[in-house]
Amino acid sequence: MLLLEHPKVLRRSLPSGRRRRPPLLGRFRFGYVSPAVLLVAVLLYLPFLWTVYQSFTTYSGLGPTTWAGLANYRELLHDPVLLTAVWNTLLWVAGTLVLPVALGLLVAVLSFNIRGASWYRLPFLLPYAMSGTGVAVAWSIILQHGGIANSLLSALGLPGGGESFLLYAPQNTLVMILASTWQQLGVNALLFVVGLQSIPREPIEAARIDGASGWTMFRKIYWPLLAPLTAVVVGLSLVASLKTFDIVWVMTQGGPGTSSQTLAIAMYRDTFVADQYGYGSAIAVVLTVVSGLISFVYLRRQLGSRKEIGA
Amino acid sequence: MRKRLLGEASRRATLVVLGLIWLFPAYLIIITAIRPADSFNPSSAWIPSGHLGLWANVAKAWTASAIGQSLGSSLLYSVAAPLLACLIGALAGYAIVVLRLRHGFFWFMLIFGGTVFPSQMLLIPLFVSYAKVGLYDNRIGMIIIYTAISAPFAAFVMRNFFTNVAFSIFEAARMDGASTLRIFAQLYLPLARTALAAVFILEFTFVWNDLLFGLTLTQSPGTRPVMTALAALQSDVYAGTPVPVALAAGLIVSLPPIVLFLATQRFFARGLALGQL
Repeated sequence: MLLLEHPKVLRRSLPSGRRRRPPLLGRFRFGYVSPAVLLVAVLLYLPFLWTVYQSFTTYSGLGPTTWAGLANYRELLHDPVLLTAVWNTLLWVAGTLVLPVALGLLVAVLSFNIRGASWYRLPFLLPYAMSGTGVAVAWSIILQHGGIANSLLSALGLPGGGESFLLYAPQNTLVMILASTWQQLGVNALLFVVGLQSIPREPIEAARIDGASGWTMFRKIYWPLLAPLTAVVVGLSLVASLKTFDIVWVMTQGGPGTSSQTLAIAMYRDTFVADQYGYGSAIAVVLTVVSGLISFVYLRRQLGSRKEIGA
Repeated sequence: MRKRLLGEASRRATLVVLGLIWLFPAYLIIITAIRPADSFNPSSAWIPSGHLGLWANVAKAWTASAIGQSLGSSLLYSVAAPLLACLIGALAGYAIVVLRLRHGFFWFMLIFGGTVFPSQMLLIPLFVSYAKVGLYDNRIGMIIIYTAISAPFAAFVMRNFFTNVAFSIFEAARMDGASTLRIFAQLYLPLARTALAAVFILEFTFVWNDLLFGLTLTQSPGTRPVMTALAALQSDVYAGTPVPVALAAGLIVSLPPIVLFLATQRFFARGLALGQL
């Protein structure tokens, strides 16, 4: 940040004989940032404020916008459809913590420091090469009623051959969480591997000499030293899972009915399918506040732990 | 020592089992995408077909579902928007770090703050105002919004990068009489090409994989990005599009970011040392 300041000092330090020349740092410095500032102001900040304002109004896409005060938010609290969306979003949040994050950590720890580790991790990274939409198309084909999954289960003599995975709640949300896990696990594993590699060798060697291994080693040494990175992975995954859209939109569009809607899907459907712009805005605001709070708490915890290390 | 070896064997075994579970869906997707379209049968989907139908499937997806047309749009969006974002971000970083813009940190935070807004907060106003000014269902409109979303990250990386460039380079060029714009274009941009390439690849992948903005801001086959077309193909499967055709489309559409990433891997190897991989 030191570099950013003291333009005046620099200008004054120029030899006085060259005063006629243009100033060292140029005259139109603001011209260089203005495209970026203009772009984010008009296309990101303005729409953001507009959505906040609109969440206090009713607007159907046509006709006038009328002030509605907190009516949209009050409706949010009493809307059974939205309650389903909140419930499903919580399922996504919990499922994301249990599956891609925990399994990612497991894969990272298992493959850490063994020969050929990258080969063992490759199968988990392959699905990440596909886009969310591509993964969703593939999994909905596998899981559709009478599809590959059903046939495979009956061929193996397992239960579930006649199951309609995507047609009933809550199993439709659960199988979509599995599909998302299939895609996300590898990245989380990779992040954890980077974290493991940055752990200093001394405490590990010391613990090994003391006879620690396996689970004890993980619990007493790796886990506490990984904590800052775990906070980042958990924080990122939480915020991403709150905004889950692609997979659900492609696989079920939030249906059948509204049974697999998440908050992000509800926001999209209420706005662009049902033309309730004010109500859709209110859902977006709630989504933003919740994910903002989570990011804030995680960021603070992370900065806090860094301070402890520094002290 | 013996216990450790045993531990390692069981670790490998667990990884192999998990890895096979992970590979199986990928196997299903690939063998289904390459089998002839009419030979698909869910009850024997895991047995590979003796005939290769991949090219016929791709050709069918290309024409029947407008995947081909939307590939062109997506290519335009995911090249043009990150390029513009890189340029705009580099200009901002240059002004803040090298030209020491007054209140530079404030302007930086303002630009970087653009990354915190969830897409859901932008959709409605963008949809309404795009419709009003004629940018709805318009390629220019799509490039503008993707550029706006990509610019803050580009500015962030470029600001960090320029902080590490010696200021004496700038001073020397200035004393030689070069204008600030010329120093930017001929000295700083070429210096930053590795960082710019890394930013470009990440933003390319983001724009390429986007579904939400494409769904909200476009409508006609000529402007819809490819993920939107692919998502539509999914509902077409219930209406009779053969399963292998849909999966072949899913694979083809995933290729460009992978190819780009592999082709430029050395930029990443230098920048983000991902260790053992």
